[in-house]
Amino acid sequence: MEGDGNEIDAERYEEDESVTDILRDRFRLSTISIAETQAKKHGMQISEPIIACISELAFKYTAHLAKDLELFAQHANRKCVNTEDVILAAHRNEHVASTLRSFYDDLKAKEPQSERKRKKASKNKDKATTSAVHFPDL
Amino acid sequence: MEDETFDPDLIHAIFKHIWTKRSLERERNGGNDALDSELAGAGTSKKNRPTSANAHALKLSCELLRVFIAEAVGRAATIAEAEGVSKIEATHLERILPQLLLDF
Repeated sequence: MEGDGNEIDAERYEEDESVTDILRDRFRLSTISIAETQAKKHGMQISEPIIACISELAFKYTAHLAKDLELFAQHANRKCVNTEDVILAAHRNEHVASTLRSFYDDLKAKEPQSERKRKKASKNKDKATTSAVHFPDL
Repeated sequence: MEDETFDPDLIHAIFKHIWTKRSLERERNGGNDALDSELAGAGTSKKNRPTSANAHALKLSCELLRVFIAEAVGRAATIAEAEGVSKIEATHLERILPQLLLDF
């Protein structure tokens, strides 16, 4: 079992690495454009290796985030990650959490197709969080 | 918010990749893994299916990552400005890194 397993593992590992590399490169391209827009906003130049560093950092953060989100969803006996999980993942900093919450409210305001779902979601949110979030439609 | 941001499809691909990997690992380890065995009672076939995410959740994740990068660049820019240079260098990133990682 050991020998076979190791061979399959090695193959899978290689495949895995190449997929990860492609994803990492695509991720870096997005990071470059975001970082350069931000740097321009601050009237700063930013050197390439620094962007690469930040990109690597953010990619690892994404991996942690994926793991967190999965565990949060599992903890709630769900198989599907929803917005509550993402907001919970940003709990370390209240500003980040509230930024995400208002971003979510904007998203909902843009697509008001499922009224009932929204009301249910915001009710749940009111129960779940103590911070003051204003829902004008309630 | 109207700035550049990540493509939700890309983030979905990364998440899916990690979730599939984790569900494969879980399959191989059976119920032995202490960390993942909290749902062992729910039946193995159900338990081993990889997680999925809804569209809003992906958009929120994109925003979270965008804020992460924007904060990294913004804070480093503040340090660079205080030093009176107009290019963000490694030392600036090093200075802001600990607090940045604590905030996310």
